[in-house]
Amino acid sequence: MSWFGFGFNGFGQISRADVSGQVKCKVNSPVLISDDECKSGVNRSDRRIRACWSSRADLQQTQSGSGVYLSGCVCGPSAQVCVSQGCTDALISETHLTLSFTDRVELWEIKPQQNQLVWKREHELSAEHTAALPLVSGGFVQHKPPFFHPLKLCAVSLVLGSEHALLLTADGTLYSWGSGSHGQLGHGALTSLEDPQAVEALWGVPIKAVAAGNWHSAAVSSGGDLYMWGWNESGQLGLPSRGLEEEKRRGNGSGNDDQPMNTDEKSQTDVFISIQAFPALVDIANMSEISRISCGSRHTAAVTSAGDLYTWGWGQYGQLGHGTEHSTDEPTPVDYFSSHSLSVKDVVCGSWNTFVSVVPKETSSVLTETHPGLLN
Amino acid sequence: MASVWTDIRAVLPSTVSEFPLDFSEKIELSVLKCLELSRDQLYSEADCPVSAERAQIIIDYSWEKLNIGTWRDVDKEWRRVYSYGCLFKVLSLCHGNPPQNIIQEAIRTCDMSLLMGAAIMDNILQRLVGILRNKIKTTSPNKAEWSEEPCSKKRKHDCKSEPVLNPTKEVPRIHCPSLERFRSDFLDSKKPVIIEGITDHWPAFTQHPWSIDYLRTVAGCRTVPIEVGSKYTDEEWSQKLITVNDFIDRYITGTEEDGVGYLAQHQLFDQVPELKEDIRIPDYCCLGEGDEDDITINAWFGPGGTVSPLHQDPQQNFLAQVVGRKYIRLYSPEETKSLYPHESQLLHNTSQVEVENPDLVKFPDFSRASYEECVLCPGDVLFIPLQHWHYVRSLELSFSVSFWWS
Repeated sequence: MSWFGFGFNGFGQISRADVSGQVKCKVNSPVLISDDECKSGVNRSDRRIRACWSSRADLQQTQSGSGVYLSGCVCGPSAQVCVSQGCTDALISETHLTLSFTDRVELWEIKPQQNQLVWKREHELSAEHTAALPLVSGGFVQHKPPFFHPLKLCAVSLVLGSEHALLLTADGTLYSWGSGSHGQLGHGALTSLEDPQAVEALWGVPIKAVAAGNWHSAAVSSGGDLYMWGWNESGQLGLPSRGLEEEKRRGNGSGNDDQPMNTDEKSQTDVFISIQAFPALVDIANMSEISRISCGSRHTAAVTSAGDLYTWGWGQYGQLGHGTEHSTDEPTPVDYFSSHSLSVKDVVCGSWNTFVSVVPKETSSVLTETHPGLLN
Repeated sequence: MASVWTDIRAVLPSTVSEFPLDFSEKIELSVLKCLELSRDQLYSEADCPVSAERAQIIIDYSWEKLNIGTWRDVDKEWRRVYSYGCLFKVLSLCHGNPPQNIIQEAIRTCDMSLLMGAAIMDNILQRLVGILRNKIKTTSPNKAEWSEEPCSKKRKHDCKSEPVLNPTKEVPRIHCPSLERFRSDFLDSKKPVIIEGITDHWPAFTQHPWSIDYLRTVAGCRTVPIEVGSKYTDEEWSQKLITVNDFIDRYITGTEEDGVGYLAQHQLFDQVPELKEDIRIPDYCCLGEGDEDDITINAWFGPGGTVSPLHQDPQQNFLAQVVGRKYIRLYSPEETKSLYPHESQLLHNTSQVEVENPDLVKFPDFSRASYEECVLCPGDVLFIPLQHWHYVRSLELSFSVSFWWS
C-alpha cells in the first residue's frame, strides 16, 4: 500500500523542499508520499496518515515498533521528525498533537522549542477501546481547553468540524451538536445545540461512516449512499453553488490564465444552494457504493467500493487532484489513479489537501478472482 | 505620473523593526511564520516582489477563521491577520508599474480589508486606497446620468406606482425645531416626524450635489456589498461584492436582467471619507446618551423599486433623504401583534406581512393596525423612534443616509 497526496504544500507537508529550500505551494496532481523512514519492507498496510492545515502525521510500523512521524510546519519544510514510539493512533492540529497508546492517551501542545504535555489520561484498562481518536474511553479529546469532554453516548466514531461535532453509535444512529449557523447540524434550522441530538432525517438509515469539514457534514449509509449538509459556498456538498457560477462568470479572477466558461449557456438549474440544513442525497454519477469519506475545510473526497476517488468543493490549492486550481460543485473522479492502474483504498483530508492510500490494480483483481466473495 | 510602487513604498515603515507583527497567542505559529516571511521579504536586499502566493495563503486561512462563530465573536486578531494578508497582496500587486486592471484589483483588496479586516498600522490600507484611487484613469461618462426623470430604468412591471397618501395618516412635518421642542414633542413621546431644513447646508446639496456622475468620480472604483433580490426575506436574496461602477452599470442604469440590486445598510462613509465630508450628523443626536463615535451612519443607494420589508430597529433613527423620493409607512410598537412578526430568532424583528400587498386571509388583523405614512423627499429628515416599525419603498433612483443613535 502506498500513500499519495495533493493540495496545499506551503510547509512541505506533501513533498518536501528541494535542495535550495523552496517548496511548491500547490500540488495539484497526486504525488507519492515518500516514506524513507521505513525502507525495511515491513508490512506497510498499517501506515496511516493524519493532517491538519500546516502539517502531516504518519503513523508507521517499523522494525523497532510503531512511531509517529511529523512533516510540515512543526519541523520545517525539509525534515521529518519522529516524535513517539508505541503509538496506535494520532491526531494533529495547528496547536496540539493527540497520541493514543495501548494504556493511555496523551495530548501534547506543540511549541517551537519543546513540545509540552498538557493532558494525559490513562485508559480504563477494563474497557476495550477500539474507536479512533478523538474518541477516548468515556468521551473525546479536543485541542482547546477543556481538553476532555465526557460523553454519555457510546460512540464508534466521532468527527469534529471547526465548530460542530458528529457522532455515530454502533446501531448506525447519527448525532450532531455545536454551531448550526451554516446548517451543519442537519436538523433543519440554523440554531446551535449544546448537546448531541439525533439527526432525525436519517432515522431508519443506518450510517456506517461520517466526516466533517469546517462547516459541512457527510454521512455514508451502510448501503453506500452519501448524504451531505451544511455550507455549500464552494460546492463542497456536491449541490449547485452560486459562488462558483459567479466565479466562472468573472473568469476565475484570481489571475488564472484559463479561459472563462461560456456564459451563454444557462446553467442546468437556476436553483443554487448556499446552505443545506437537512441531509441531502448526493448523486455521484453512475457510481458504485461509497466506502470511505473525508472532508477538508471546504472540500470533500469519497472512495467508492470499486476503488475510485471522487473529489469536489474548493480546489484553489489543488486539493481536488484534477491538475487544476478550479473548484467544482460536481463530484469528479481523480483520473490519475485509474490511469495509473491504482485502486484507491482510503482517503484522509487535511484542511487544504488530500491523502490517498492505494494498491496496484492487479493485486485487487487477482484477489477478487480467487475470492469472488470479495466483490460484495 | 510617479510610479505606483514609489508612492506605495513611501507609506511603509522604512525599517523592518518599525513593522512589528504582534499578535495574541490565538494566532497560530504556522500562519505567523507566513506573516514574518512576507514581511522580511519586503525588507530584503533584492528588489523582488512580495510573494503573491503567500499573501493569498494568509488571506484564505484568516478568511476561514473570520467565518467561524458569529461576527461579534470573531477574534479581532484574526481580522488583523486578514488585513495583513491584504496588505501583502496589495504590495505584491503594486510592484513595478502595474496596469489599470491590476491597480483596480489592488483597490478591491484594500476594500476587502476595510470591509472584513481590522485596522492595522495606523489604518495603512485606508491610506493606500487613497493613493491608488488617484492612479485609476476614470473614463468620462458618455451622458449626464443624473436623470431628471423618476425612472432611469425600463421595468417590466410597474412597481414604482405613486402612492396616494391618506391626509389623516400623514407623518407631521416641522421646520428646524429647537432641541427642546424636538425632545419634548417627539423624542420623549416617541412620535415620528419629518424635520425640514436641517440638511440645507450639507455639501451633498450645495458644493458637491450628489449625482451618479459624482458618485462615480468619488467612489466608482471602490468595492461595496450589494443586496440582490427584491427583499431580504426572499429565498432568492443574496449579497455580492462589486465596484460602485459595476453596481451603477448593472442595477441603476442597466436593464432588468440582473434583477433588483441595492447598496443597503452599508457604512460607506467609513470606507470613503470623501463622502463623509458631504454630510453632517444632525444636532439632535446630542440628545442621546452615546458619543458621536457610537453613531452608526449607513448609506442606502439604489434604483426605484427597492423595498425594505416592515421591520424594527433597536436604536433611534434619523433617515435623511438626499436624492430621489421614498414611500415610508410607520407602525407604533403597540401595533406589534397585528403585524405578525416572524417567529424565528433571526427574523423576529421583521413582519411577515407585505405592506403594500397584504394577505388579509393569512394576516387578518393587519388591516386594523393604525399607521402613519409619507413620501420622503430630498432635504427631508425622518425621525423613526426606536422600535418603531417601518416599511420603505423607493419611488425612483434614491440615496438616503441613516443615523442610528441611542
